[in-house]
Amino acid sequence: MEYKAPVEEYTGVVREVTIGKGKNSIKIGGENMLPLHFFDKGSNPNPVKFALEVIDMEPPDWPEHLIQPFKDVLSDPVKWAKKCEELGVDAVFLRLVSTDPAVKDSSADDAAALAKKVAESIDLPLIVYGSGDDKKDVEVLPKVAEACDGMNLLIGPVQKENYEIVGKALLDHGHNASALSPLDINLLKELNVKLGKFFPAEKIVIDPESAALGYGMEYSFSLMERVKQIGIITKDNMTMMPIMADLGGECWKTKQAKENKEQGLLWEGITALSLLLAGANIIVLRHPETLSLIKKTTEVK
Amino acid sequence: MVIIGENIHVIAQAVSTAVRERNAKVIQELAQTQTEAGADYIDLNVGPMKKDTEETMQWLVDAVQEATDLPLSIDTLNPVAMEAGLKACKRKPLLNSASGKGLSKEQMLPLAQKYNCDVVISVMTDKGMPPDVESKIESIMDTVAHANELGIPNENIWVDPILLPISTAGEGQRFTVLNLEFLNILEDVLPGVKSTVGLSNTSNGVPEELRPHLNRTYLVMLERNKLYSAIADPLDKELMSLAKGEMPSIVELIHKTMDGEDLDLPSLSQKEVEYVKTAKVLKGETLYSDAWLES
Repeated sequence: MEYKAPVEEYTGVVREVTIGKGKNSIKIGGENMLPLHFFDKGSNPNPVKFALEVIDMEPPDWPEHLIQPFKDVLSDPVKWAKKCEELGVDAVFLRLVSTDPAVKDSSADDAAALAKKVAESIDLPLIVYGSGDDKKDVEVLPKVAEACDGMNLLIGPVQKENYEIVGKALLDHGHNASALSPLDINLLKELNVKLGKFFPAEKIVIDPESAALGYGMEYSFSLMERVKQIGIITKDNMTMMPIMADLGGECWKTKQAKENKEQGLLWEGITALSLLLAGANIIVLRHPETLSLIKKTTEVK
Repeated sequence: MVIIGENIHVIAQAVSTAVRERNAKVIQELAQTQTEAGADYIDLNVGPMKKDTEETMQWLVDAVQEATDLPLSIDTLNPVAMEAGLKACKRKPLLNSASGKGLSKEQMLPLAQKYNCDVVISVMTDKGMPPDVESKIESIMDTVAHANELGIPNENIWVDPILLPISTAGEGQRFTVLNLEFLNILEDVLPGVKSTVGLSNTSNGVPEELRPHLNRTYLVMLERNKLYSAIADPLDKELMSLAKGEMPSIVELIHKTMDGEDLDLPSLSQKEVEYVKTAKVLKGETLYSDAWLES
């Protein structure tokens, strides 16, 4: 008797989210199969996308080998973003670190003006993140949303503590929301349910928190895997959103990545590759050489 | 369904103060209200009782027995307190609880034999909580065999599968599902044993106002899977109505949800929809979140 491999067919479809406008836009998500299950029925119209991170101030704690590739642009986030563009990314990720009250507490207006300037000077979609301080982000993110009105950016992190105000601003100014919850599938779903009550589900991206190799990556892996399975297999309406793995910052915080360049690239690269296997739809990196390493690794031969 | 009233519990500040100050009135009121609400047993959970152990337990049991005729469940991990409690009981008490842990087998199970009382035996062993149905069955069979050897008949044994909070990331929901399976096959592997659960544990960590939804629905689901008794809050009126078979249409609705029947949600009342949604979460069909009633 001839052996026939079983072929699964799934009912869930991850929502397709468009970031940016017109020819400068990208799409993420849209798959109706589990990550890399090419042997099953279904397809992924939008292979994983990559972004490089730009921060809004000279990085105080980055190791020399991470600073090196951006040495001449570190003082100017606009130039830095353009440099990323030249390096062949799909999107630029701008983190407004300086707005953090514990860093520089720079103003929401300055941050918004900068976000707008960066968005206008690149031909790529922009992702903007506040500092993650949920109270300060309530001031910063609505200003960013307003300044970049109608540009359809991806803005976050939208959190349990501030989703009402931030979500409303994103909705009013036509942006996508990146919903962040702390490594917990139940909290992740709760935030999506609550945000989804007034914010269109097809404009929500999940940020489940991406821990680095050796620092809890397996939790992030299992979580992403589970989000995908529950969305694709059991068709849970509130987990069928694309996932962003914001991992560069986590990796370059580690002692191992700071120690030397090769180790750093591998640390970021292995984390990225693992989370890509778990089902991330867009990956945020810091080092351009990691980017080319991962692209080379995942290229279809 | 046999309900063991859980409200005399040392975690409640009023209870611990009353015990310390020997204020019988507070304790007796708690016993009375639970009795009036329809409880079948009164649980006495007074913690480790490091000081004046025997005297305190004796006082407590006497005080409660003045206020109610219900049998008592003596809930302590301290074997000295346990023996003092069992000794003072007028009616056949429930020893709550023993387990497959070495120390418990040595110190608690012999008491159940000595006083010929009912005994709760949990699936816990020295290795911790068995992670799946098979290992739970395996561990309880071992412990029950040991109890039988001591002369405790199956009829006196109330097996506790140990409920975990559903809100525990990832794992919690898996356990609510596998405990249903466990209870369903328990009777086949250990004929004659009874069962019990700490019902409120399921909803631990869930926003306070939402906890009764989980407790009530899960009780019906567990009962369908042959659960004999539950340690629960008898002051929850709706829970008691369900436990005493006074809400047959809700019970039927939960059973239909368990069977995966297609239900016409728009035709149901809000309360009915909430029972359906809760049952779906407890059977693992939808992913749990604190907003489960809202989605």
